[in-house]
Amino acid sequence: MKKISLIILFLTSLWLPGNTQQKSFYGLYTDRDIYVSGETLLAKIFLPEGISSSIVCLDLMNMNGTRITGGSLSIHNNEAEGYLLLPDSLSTGTYLVRTYQKHNASRIKTIREIWISSRFDGLEKISQIKRIIAPNSIQDKETTQITITGIQPEYKTNSSIEANISIDESLLKELDGNLLVSVAQTEQTFNPVSFQIENNQSNDGIIEKKGIIISGTITDKKTLQPEPNITVCLTIPDSIPGFQYYTTRKDGRFYFLLDQYYGSVQAVVQCFANNPNQRLNMKLDELYADPGTLPGFKLQPISEDFKTNITRNISAGTFRKVFGQETLVYSSPPKVIRDSYPYYGKATKTVDPQLFIELPNFTEVARELLPGVKFRNYNDEPSLQVLNNATHSYFEDNPLILIDGIPVRDLNIIKGMGSADIDRVDICQNERFYGDMRFPGVVAIYSTKADYSMLAESSQLARLTLETIQLETKLAEPSNTEPNIPDLRQLLYWNPTTRPNQNMALKCRTSTIEGQFKIQVRGKLKDGTILFSEKNFEVK
Amino acid sequence: MTTRILHILILGCFLICSGRIYAQDTFNRNWDGQKIKGVRHIAYPTYTGFPFLTDGWVPGQIEFNNGEIADSLYLRYSAFKDELLYYNKLLGSQIVIDKVSISGFSFKGPDGIPRIFRKQYYDGYMKGDRFFEILSKGETDLLAYRKRNLTTTMPYKDEQQILKDQEYTNSYQYYFYSPGKGYSLVRPNLNAFLDVFNEADQKSVKKLIRRNRVRITDEASLLQAWKIVEGGGFKILLR
Repeated sequence: MKKISLIILFLTSLWLPGNTQQKSFYGLYTDRDIYVSGETLLAKIFLPEGISSSIVCLDLMNMNGTRITGGSLSIHNNEAEGYLLLPDSLSTGTYLVRTYQKHNASRIKTIREIWISSRFDGLEKISQIKRIIAPNSIQDKETTQITITGIQPEYKTNSSIEANISIDESLLKELDGNLLVSVAQTEQTFNPVSFQIENNQSNDGIIEKKGIIISGTITDKKTLQPEPNITVCLTIPDSIPGFQYYTTRKDGRFYFLLDQYYGSVQAVVQCFANNPNQRLNMKLDELYADPGTLPGFKLQPISEDFKTNITRNISAGTFRKVFGQETLVYSSPPKVIRDSYPYYGKATKTVDPQLFIELPNFTEVARELLPGVKFRNYNDEPSLQVLNNATHSYFEDNPLILIDGIPVRDLNIIKGMGSADIDRVDICQNERFYGDMRFPGVVAIYSTKADYSMLAESSQLARLTLETIQLETKLAEPSNTEPNIPDLRQLLYWNPTTRPNQNMALKCRTSTIEGQFKIQVRGKLKDGTILFSEKNFEVK
Repeated sequence: MTTRILHILILGCFLICSGRIYAQDTFNRNWDGQKIKGVRHIAYPTYTGFPFLTDGWVPGQIEFNNGEIADSLYLRYSAFKDELLYYNKLLGSQIVIDKVSISGFSFKGPDGIPRIFRKQYYDGYMKGDRFFEILSKGETDLLAYRKRNLTTTMPYKDEQQILKDQEYTNSYQYYFYSPGKGYSLVRPNLNAFLDVFNEADQKSVKKLIRRNRVRITDEASLLQAWKIVEGGGFKILLR
């Protein structure tokens, strides 16, 4: 009996490591604590060791937990850098910047409090501000092993700052990854809280190992049961459209990987029933994490200094907008090797109907202009066939029909398209294959509008604007070309990927903005602890 | 007692493994991989000889242009059309993979040795992308272009008693290739082999080959000779 107990214990020990949830810590740091709507927020995220996902999300939420904007950042060596463009329309108040990874978002999130002032109203009527009461706020460790020297207590506007950052040799060995070095305006009466939301009861989802994953479930509209063997397609309309498909299994789930797209991308997700009478319901999983239970807020009186600084920042932010002073320089996206032709193959023939006499509908266009394409509309039941070049006979099945790269099965959508609506038509007169999909000929219509307005959204078709991986950026250099235009930078230096060395020189210039500034150096130790060292100075 | 313990152990292992298998089973195979693009293969006309490099479908892998690998595919190289076919089990179709979408493929020969083919642009007569088999890889590669031609022959009757006058014949071509320098055609005989070297080196190369008792008569001896000469530090004159 003892032996049996021991074996059970051994097996349990084998089982447990797969299920125990490791304690993770995400360090989230922003360039400043106070912003003006329309400005850009820069962020650096230190991630815990052993992260298998390659994507981390950065969001901005209001106090009610509503997501306002966000982005997906690429992780390199357990670190990520990104930005948030704060909308101009934001009202004044406390906001929350959060970071999480989609697979464990319900389990762990790190949130940082920031203040955003609307550019269009001041703080005259406000005497109190809402602040977060975070029960488990993250306290970083200040270190004396990182020393910042050469900083004077006061600097003049538009003068140069030269400092030296020294790191103790013993600390150098302990540091993991890059340092975040920044010089930015600071508001001493507003110390933001950073805290972590943890929920050990939740389960992890799919890890975004290669890139962003779009997922969802297909159910039958009548039975409400998950529907297997349904083909779900994701199209990214472009001059060479991107296309993916997934055939659902028993659980009706589908997944798409977006690993080679950067910035904002338009996408269409659609599912096709296996028989014409079946009606499906496609439910996409939330693209962003839910807010979870947010901590409470307390009211805190605001000082006159805070008000003055905010007023000055609003003026600076507005001037920067007016003079088009950009905060960031965007890198060009990494070179992605893509095929030089669409997924449906090289066109056997391409026709530009605009070169010919105007024709009123697709029946006429097909008859007069499209070789090897037979479009008939008898009794309002349209049919389309394409000639197979290999056998010199028409395919019996309907070809793959695309409008701006998006597959359509309902021929009624195209029957009214005249030559004025069509930019070009690609025709593939052979039997094409794409993975496990077979296309008995292809007719790809590219419309003049190219706005996909012909495809109505339904329970089987969803149009999305996806925030894919953010482009890499760096802080824009101040422009010296026009001396009459004031330099209104509040962030003087930002380098989230500083390689740690024993001695590092830091050079930057103050702007015309006066006030308190802070130089900060942050780094992560191998055990996950975040260390920092900082020094304040004033610009007069 | 021992049997009971064993049963518990087996049951435990089964439970642990079944959970993991189920976890992987949620996704379709290759759902996040690049998809193979191609057209249906139309059967070649039957003549004496064989248009394919291998007798049947061989398990192998292809490499897409972005370096991504798709493996566990049933492949067949058409030496007649210089195109790669794969068999799609699900669709039950023989598909000619778009040459433009892949950068190479490989499969194991009957002797278990991997045969690697690479798509390269050939700038000589009949310019275009070709699949070359890499016989030897180094500063200068020895490549084989496995070409099978349809040639006119004496009239004969096939199995269906149809009169025909064409047959598939081997027309393998061997090239020395160095990136940036180009190709140099070589035939599997001593004189042709010596011809790809500098005149000053030719005597030493000849001596080296003789010393190693290699007679260049076929592909294997050409490869053997090249490996010896390459080891001797001799350079090919690419033109």
